[in-house]
Amino acid sequence: MTRILKAILFYAGAFALCAPPLFVFVWMILTGLKTGVQNISYPPEFIFLPTLENFRAVFQQYNFFRYLLNSLIIATLATAISLALGLPAAYSIAKYRQGKIGILILVARMTPFVSYLLPWYIIFRYLKLIDTYTALTITHLIITMPMVIWLMVSFFESMPAELEDAAMIDGCSRWQSFIRIVLPLVRNGIATSAIMSFIFSWNQFLFSLILSGPKTKTVPVAVYNFISYGKIDWAGIGAAATLIVLPVSIFAFFVRKSIVQGLTMGALKD
Amino acid sequence: MANVILKNLVKRFNAVTAVDNLSIEIHDREFAVLVGPSGCGKTTALRMIAGLETITSGEIFIGDTLVNDMAPKDRDIAMVFQNYALYPHMNVRDNLGFGLKIRKFPQEEIDSRVQEAADILGIQELLDRKPKELSGGQRQRVAVGRAIVRKPKVFLFDEPLSNLDAKLRVAMRAEISKLHRRLGATIIYVTHDQVEAMTMADRIFIMHNGALQQTGMPLEVYGQPANRFVAGFIGSPAMNFIEAALVRDAGAWFIDAGGFRVRAPEAFYARLEPHAGRPVIFGVRPEDMAAHDPAAGAGDGNTVKARADVVETLGSEIFVYLTCGAHSVVARMEAPERPLTVGQTLEVDLKMVKTHIFDKETSRTIV
Repeated sequence: MTRILKAILFYAGAFALCAPPLFVFVWMILTGLKTGVQNISYPPEFIFLPTLENFRAVFQQYNFFRYLLNSLIIATLATAISLALGLPAAYSIAKYRQGKIGILILVARMTPFVSYLLPWYIIFRYLKLIDTYTALTITHLIITMPMVIWLMVSFFESMPAELEDAAMIDGCSRWQSFIRIVLPLVRNGIATSAIMSFIFSWNQFLFSLILSGPKTKTVPVAVYNFISYGKIDWAGIGAAATLIVLPVSIFAFFVRKSIVQGLTMGALKD
Repeated sequence: MANVILKNLVKRFNAVTAVDNLSIEIHDREFAVLVGPSGCGKTTALRMIAGLETITSGEIFIGDTLVNDMAPKDRDIAMVFQNYALYPHMNVRDNLGFGLKIRKFPQEEIDSRVQEAADILGIQELLDRKPKELSGGQRQRVAVGRAIVRKPKVFLFDEPLSNLDAKLRVAMRAEISKLHRRLGATIIYVTHDQVEAMTMADRIFIMHNGALQQTGMPLEVYGQPANRFVAGFIGSPAMNFIEAALVRDAGAWFIDAGGFRVRAPEAFYARLEPHAGRPVIFGVRPEDMAAHDPAAGAGDGNTVKARADVVETLGSEIFVYLTCGAHSVVARMEAPERPLTVGQTLEVDLKMVKTHIFDKETSRTIV
């Protein structure tokens, strides 16, 4: 009897914790499936005939494919560059105990992003890089790179040094031992940091709002543009937001195990 | 194959001198064991030979080539690590072949050498397993195999048996000795275990506080230790050290430990002369003490009375912890027919010609 009671309490507690964020999620999806009129009716309708009209409109009226592609390109580039530069950086911070440099990188990450925007805007305008993938990718690096570095440092620190010694004696240069021995052993960490930086870049709004233009607009900014002077296209926003969240959510669902592992594994030796 | 020469080798970590002016020469095909307590600099010395540690000063030659600034991969050495350091993401076959693959050996050559090593070590069935699926002893074999496929000039072993259980350690000891004879290779083997050193080495190099204490064949360092440290380090149970004074009485030399007094053999006299009246340390190995045999008569005046405090029975022999005057010593004797009882007083004969006398100040061996 107490076991049933315990189970009921457990699930009630779990529901109480999960309901608020899930409710927002559900509301967003429902908004996308309703017509404009249904969306502003009061009290809100929960039983209605769903329509996919909004999703069609998002692609036809707002050129949403283009924005998805922009986001994909920028997030992929930012993630790739973060890994290419961040992995060796994290390795050398861990290996040569460059904790101070690590802190410096963290400071760059913790500085409010708004304070970067003005100088960046001026510099990029001067370089004629406003509304280019280059500018957006570079700015996203300030988010993704420290994430890669800080996640990976603990992974590299937990690697036994003898493995590299053995590799060096077996005939590797330091680079070869890094690529052939060290990297394969921290692949969980690499997967985690890649996923995290992709998601953070995908969701980044502020930099893209200021530095993108018609050619490079990313999806979060595109959704923001659904709010115009005259009206707010709630149905369109709902449909577009669902489309933004969907790929990342599906992705995260499949790799959730490795994310949890990656976030905790480097923390403990062995 | 090659000899290895260390000349005035020094390694400092900030203020700490880990290796202090180490000069040794290891001959071609020799099984050399560097032995000493932890922190004596033996592993640092080995890592410098491997090229994994920079050299503060001094020179290292491998087969007449100065290797001071050579990368580990160019030194033609192989190393077996204490924790095996097998690549966890590769199966045994790839672990063994990795060194050859990275050196761009043709695949048939790699396969045949891996097979050969697997045959030697009896690990043919394990080739497709990952390291985590192996037992400690199997991992150890793979680690040794990874070294032998390379056919290097010199093998370096860094405490390879210390993670194994006692029984396996004894078995692997014999196997590594056998392997050495089979390969005819130069081996430099680091251990803190004097038993490993005694049983495996052609020559032992004993280190303490970064400095070389003595070099010699196992029985030399056992029989003629250069100083008190070596005397205490080699042999188990360790040599008993007793503070004493040298006394001359009626033309004979006596070792007076305050509580008991024994006569030094005549062969010692000449070397004792300069130390007359000075404090010394009298050293007796446990195995050089025996229960007095009444049938042998009064003996040569080197029979001391002692009280048995603890008796450890090992079967064929016993360890007896004795109080002898104010001194505690341990003796290793044949198991007597009638078991000793604790608190019993017994007479113990010292084999005086096998005892040692050390200068108390310098710790150097006098006899």
